[in-house]
Amino acid sequence: MFINEPVNLQIDQEAGSHVKIHVINAPFSITVNQLEEGCKTEIYALENLHGEENVTAETHVTHAVGGGSSTQLIKFVLDDNARGHFIGDLKIAPDAQQTEAHQTNRNLLLSETAEMRTQPQLEIYADDVKATHGASTGQLDESALFYMQQRGIDKQKARQLLVNAFMKEIIETISDEKVKERLLDTIDGIVQ
Amino acid sequence: MSKLLEIKDLHASIGGKEILKGVNLVINEGEVHAIMGPNGAGKSTLSAVLTGNPAYDVTGGEVYLKGENLLTMEPEVRARAGVFLSFQYPVEIPGVSMTNFMRTALNAKREYEGKEPLTAKEFLSLMRQKKKLLELPDKLNNRSVNEGFSGGEKKKNEIFQMAMLEPCLSILDETDSGLDIDALRIVAEGVNRLKTPHNASIVITHYQRLLDYIVPDFVHVLADGKIVKTGDKTLALELEERGYEGII
Repeated sequence: MFINEPVNLQIDQEAGSHVKIHVINAPFSITVNQLEEGCKTEIYALENLHGEENVTAETHVTHAVGGGSSTQLIKFVLDDNARGHFIGDLKIAPDAQQTEAHQTNRNLLLSETAEMRTQPQLEIYADDVKATHGASTGQLDESALFYMQQRGIDKQKARQLLVNAFMKEIIETISDEKVKERLLDTIDGIVQ
Repeated sequence: MSKLLEIKDLHASIGGKEILKGVNLVINEGEVHAIMGPNGAGKSTLSAVLTGNPAYDVTGGEVYLKGENLLTMEPEVRARAGVFLSFQYPVEIPGVSMTNFMRTALNAKREYEGKEPLTAKEFLSLMRQKKKLLELPDKLNNRSVNEGFSGGEKKKNEIFQMAMLEPCLSILDETDSGLDIDALRIVAEGVNRLKTPHNASIVITHYQRLLDYIVPDFVHVLADGKIVKTGDKTLALELEERGYEGII
């Protein structure tokens, strides 16, 4: 895969609208304002970085009124000397009661020289809301690697199977079956 | 009867602490060897060292599989050469389906043996056939490896993988732990049906119970990193009665 041109989006949502965004391998800054009731926002991103690649991903989600929901799942895979940076602003205004907001950032470091910075910023001014956020950066599970090697799978292929499993979670949220299949094939092609 | 595995004066440590202190063992084709012993004796270390777990250091001794130096082989090469470990704690691998995992593993072994990879159809038919042996459900194919499996399903899944890969040396590391009596029977019957005159098993267990189902030709007692006693199946009964302290 390669890194695409930066994506800059600013979206104001009207009542009952549904926005679903996928970003694959591109720096981005996405601003979403839920200005009316009952909006739904979904942001999924996957950054698979190698070499000296350096990607910043920013989300700015504001719930100005209540009854809406937002889901964000942002994943980075970083190999070699790659650098990743996630900035996630999430605001729930005082009037935005009964909002449901989830922000998750998961990162996988494949080399000792890759780096990830995560800056979640949550401002929640309403009290009757359901809001979660989670950020984690880790390495491949050594016990899973050994388990696969013990079945005859070489270490490089075992690593790729685990990385693909990590990436698939994003691809599987794509609604368009054709696009989804093509991306899953692209990922599996690396293995077989 | 030809020699399958030969362990000579094997020493191994983890984190600088010596666990195996000179293990000697010869296993011939067609044999079932039980290894029993108290906690911390080195039973699981032995299985980890034989399979090349990188957490352990071999500090002395030699191991040969069919005359080949096992200790210089990468873990995946040992597996392809026919060493199989039924893990005491099978690992969950979210996002990797059983089908993809098993097909990758089986074709790696076939390539090592100079055979053509199986087609998707041949592979699925083999999966179906082997799953029956362990009474595993069909839905297993699309599930992630061991993810959300019950304790019993995980152990059955280990023996299912053994059935798929047809190893020459199977190491069953406390396969009976966490199994109820029905699951134990299914797992043991699976193991017994996979037995041929050309393969062998090492059965590591705490209890005599499993050995009622998988009857060993030899029982070894491992204590403080060494095999201190070897006998036939009656030794397991004696251990059950008198405890390790009465034997060692």
